[in-house]
Amino acid sequence: MQFKDYYQTLGVARDASADDIKHAYRRLARKHHPDLNKEPGAEARFKEIGEAYEVLKDAEKRAAYDDVGKRWQPGAEQPPPGWDAGYEFRGGEAEFDPQAHSDFFEALFGRGRSQARARTPPRAQDHHAKVMIDLLDAYRGARRSLRLQMPSFDAQGRVSLQERTLDVAIPAGVREGQHLRLAGQGMPGFDGGPAGDLYLEIAFAPHPLYRVDGRDVTLKLALAPWQAALGASVDVPLPDGSVQLSVPAGSAQGRKLRLKGKGIPGKTPGDLFVVLHIAMPPPPDGAQRRAWEELARLHAAFDPRDQKGAT
Amino acid sequence: MMATNLSVLQIQVVEEEVPMSLAELCQACGAERTLVLQLVEHGVIEPQGDAPPSWVFAGASLQRTRIALRLLRDLELNLPGAALAVDLLEQIARLQRELGAARSGAAVG
Repeated sequence: MQFKDYYQTLGVARDASADDIKHAYRRLARKHHPDLNKEPGAEARFKEIGEAYEVLKDAEKRAAYDDVGKRWQPGAEQPPPGWDAGYEFRGGEAEFDPQAHSDFFEALFGRGRSQARARTPPRAQDHHAKVMIDLLDAYRGARRSLRLQMPSFDAQGRVSLQERTLDVAIPAGVREGQHLRLAGQGMPGFDGGPAGDLYLEIAFAPHPLYRVDGRDVTLKLALAPWQAALGASVDVPLPDGSVQLSVPAGSAQGRKLRLKGKGIPGKTPGDLFVVLHIAMPPPPDGAQRRAWEELARLHAAFDPRDQKGAT
Repeated sequence: MMATNLSVLQIQVVEEEVPMSLAELCQACGAERTLVLQLVEHGVIEPQGDAPPSWVFAGASLQRTRIALRLLRDLELNLPGAALAVDLLEQIARLQRELGAARSGAAVG
């Protein structure tokens, strides 16, 4: 087991005052909070910061931690003898999250001793989890096997983690950020009370072609300059099939064409937008160059900087 | 660790089909009633209906409430601060979508 240097995590000195610790925590928490910082790794960092603060902000826990720290041998695999004995802590009614604390924390302070369970709640807690799906799953619906770890309580109130697998049918038409409610699949009930619900938040795996905004899906479509000028019939890949799109003659770069109802399906299905992008062929020579020159000669009156001339 | 398999039959998309009562929203977020009432007072969530017993929350309230509760707990914000942050986070998400639309994605064809 690795010793965790909570002072280092918060970037404060060992003799930092309670105020210093609070300030350091708030600054770091704002920087790494997963609601504010979408970078990968932010959530893990935030949990470390939160754990460090949970210990250092509490005078009792901080004293116990300092005591262990003094007796800890650098590089030692084993904690000093008796290090987890005799510390008794109050409070700690945090939401039960099996991954909330490091092993180090749990060895020192125990695992969410659940005083919160003492007053029998009318109904068990709801449970939240995230599920990542592909855009195509939102078009067609999907089945997912989810492995969830949930605490269960035995007759003595001891906690053990139980793994369960849920087969979930994700309905077609679901959108990013929505929640699926699975009635009765949350935390188990107590004393015959009803179980909580399980909420699954939907996230979409990033897709190289499509960008999704609510129900609407956008695709960038590259065209040759002559296709944009003359109009063209182009095969457009949709998340769920493909369609022949006719591009009107004289289409400018960035023109947005709407395929009504081809977005994410639903009572009011979304639209699929095709944004045109004009790709240039390699620098021309020979006959190709002469063709472009002829084109230029025939368009002598066209001024691309004249807004009226642009479409 | 024990493992069990269960099949789930009843699934609802909260944002589409599940208008929530005050009690249901509290339950779904694991929040005290008084705190959720304060979130309403500060405009983080806006129920339909005249009085708490008849309030109905749109499904999207769930997301806003959960974010506000996390910010209150993790950043030790006060309620006006959390309300402001939730609004700003929504604005940022909208602007990022618009920015994504303006920027080029991957090309096809």
